[in-house]
Amino acid sequence: MNRSQEVSLDTVRSGVRKKKKNKDTWAIIGFIAPAFIIYGVYVIYSIFMTFYYSMFDWTGIDANMVFLGLENYVRLFQDGVFWTSIQNNFLLVIASLFTQLPIGLIMALLLFSPIKGMRLFRSVYFMPFLMSTVAIGILFIFIYEGNYGLLNAVLGAIGLESLQTAWIGKESTAIWAVIATVCWQFAPFYMILFRATIVGIPEELYEAADIDGASGWQRFKSITLPLLMPIIITSAILSVIGSLKYFDLIYVMTGGGPNNSTELMATYMYKQTFTNFNMGYGSSISFSMFIIALIVTVFILLGDRSRRGNE
Amino acid sequence: MFNKKLLWMMLAAILLIFAACGPSDSADTEDTPDNSTEDTATETEEGSEDNEMEAESEEATLTLWHIETGPSEEAIETAVQRFEENNPNVTVEVSQQENDPYKSQLSVAMGGGNPPDIFHSWGGGWLKQFVDSDQVVDITDSVDASIYNEAALSVSTFDDQIYGAPVSMDVVPVFYNKDMFEEYGLEEPETYQDLLDIVQTLTDNDVTPFALANQTKWTGSFYLMYLAERIGGPELFNEAFERSGRTFDDEAYVEAGSKIQELVDMGAFPEGVNGMNYDTGQSRQMLYTESAAMMTMGGWLVNNVRDEMPEFEEKLGFFLFPSVEGGEGAKNHVVGGVSPVFSVAQQSEHPEIAAELVNELASLETATEMSNNAGSISAVNGVEYEDSYIQEMSELLESSEAMQTYYDQTLPPELAQVHLDTTQALFGLSTTPEEAMAEVEASAQEVIEE
Repeated sequence: MNRSQEVSLDTVRSGVRKKKKNKDTWAIIGFIAPAFIIYGVYVIYSIFMTFYYSMFDWTGIDANMVFLGLENYVRLFQDGVFWTSIQNNFLLVIASLFTQLPIGLIMALLLFSPIKGMRLFRSVYFMPFLMSTVAIGILFIFIYEGNYGLLNAVLGAIGLESLQTAWIGKESTAIWAVIATVCWQFAPFYMILFRATIVGIPEELYEAADIDGASGWQRFKSITLPLLMPIIITSAILSVIGSLKYFDLIYVMTGGGPNNSTELMATYMYKQTFTNFNMGYGSSISFSMFIIALIVTVFILLGDRSRRGNE
Repeated sequence: MFNKKLLWMMLAAILLIFAACGPSDSADTEDTPDNSTEDTATETEEGSEDNEMEAESEEATLTLWHIETGPSEEAIETAVQRFEENNPNVTVEVSQQENDPYKSQLSVAMGGGNPPDIFHSWGGGWLKQFVDSDQVVDITDSVDASIYNEAALSVSTFDDQIYGAPVSMDVVPVFYNKDMFEEYGLEEPETYQDLLDIVQTLTDNDVTPFALANQTKWTGSFYLMYLAERIGGPELFNEAFERSGRTFDDEAYVEAGSKIQELVDMGAFPEGVNGMNYDTGQSRQMLYTESAAMMTMGGWLVNNVRDEMPEFEEKLGFFLFPSVEGGEGAKNHVVGGVSPVFSVAQQSEHPEIAAELVNELASLETATEMSNNAGSISAVNGVEYEDSYIQEMSELLESSEAMQTYYDQTLPPELAQVHLDTTQALFGLSTTPEEAMAEVEASAQEVIEE
């Protein structure tokens, strides 16, 4: 008797639970579906369609598509400009990681120093990120100009005439000039991220450190930096992915030139797809970009996981 | 288990959405009501006539994309106003686009199924690409071919069918600052050697001889086109393009390339010429500030000057690119092109009304206004020029024995890009003329002979 009662009670309970679970399911679907459908159409579906298109010889404006299989990819791997663009992308990744993040961090720390007029500096430091990319591009075109540009004038004024050059007109300097501009634009973004996190660090930790007689550097090394680590990892991922997909300033400032020396994967894809009417080939560049970004992200995440495992 | 189920439901939901978005579906819905109404209606001719009447008096909105600026933009706007007055039911949305991004914008719009009804082009290989893809309406029956200059109309005529109506033409002379020429005791050159002497004199006086902004690439292409023509003669390009004789790696092209590099070595162009952008006015600034004395540019430069620095116009003179000693070309052969050419997109909902607007845009009135205010030669016959500049330019064009259309508009886009890229590399001294021309030829074999 007892046992059967228990059994029946159990079934009743599980029945209730099941009902509740079902109700939850619909609620969850209801909440997730709208976003998921949009994501599915514009991201997941697009990725597969890109791969599909990349197997064709197609202009993108007509109905005539010739199936090539993976021939576009074979051509891609023999394409010197594509390799230049990958190299430039990785230059940009490295430059972004090792300038944007440290500069952002330094600016964030500076904003905590007890100087008068800090609010002004905060706005000024953040300004580049608020400007439109095209405006920045055109502004820097004039700064880097070889004949009457500001940069050359400054170099001349401080006696460094030997360094004067046509910054974005020369193949050897163009990519660096643009990378410097990209860093100038994005460092403030990381500054704001870091600053917001530093504000959130409990004051007690610093007070305790003061009591223990910690120096400024020790406070930074043992409190600020470890507590910033998660946001630094996030910023690094944002920065790497952003650099791999970067397009805007290159398009505005150099258009990939001179002689393809500043081409990035995204600008080269654009050129092939919309200027040369090679939708199929452009799609294969686009899909390769996706694969490269995916591999890099997986590596960063794995690295982060093993770091957390160690702790 | 539970997760999998959820996933499947979402995938099913996505599939449903795609099914709803599919193009075949929308076509179906368009077809069915038409058929049903026709079937159920009177089924006589009266009924269909009624429908046509309705279609004519129907409100229509046309979109027009053009790239004109300054006075030519005004000419376009006036033409549109005239059209709207004559056709009160029609609203025209005029959208002005920036020159360089325009090409990609239009192909995105065409590919995305949402092009403007009427669009600008330069005729040639670029327009042909769209014609080949069935994106352009054949307007042979809607335009009066006899009112247009034959050479101008030829850039938008393929297989004897007309796909666009031309408004203006341009020639590309070498513009120069008359005051500066006087200051340094220079005269308009007759031969290439004269030109080299001018370059030498100007560089000795710390003046940049040619203002050139070659990030834009087509700007530098003028020099290659002229030098190649002067060395190899007017048939060189046609032979190479039609694969009927000389090729793009011909000696004449290689020599033209080395002459460009010779000029670069002499300091004939500004520092960092490949980083300067014509559209943001960097080369014109040099001209206006008198830090450069010459500029090889299309007649539209006059339009730019009137817009940007009207007082500079009186200093502006021009001559044709001089002949090269021993070359097959001559000084009175010009490089030029047709712009704007207006065409109707196949996907337009009102192709007939759009074709009427094209007629208005490419009318004698518009061409007259554009010629007199904007400094371009009319592609419509019978314009009386008020402007002395344009009178001179037009005489220049009429007296010329051959006209070379811009390579980058004439060649298929992919090959045009190779031509532009290699020419830019020549200016940057990062390739040799032999390499550059071999690359163009290789691309030509791939693209044209396919």
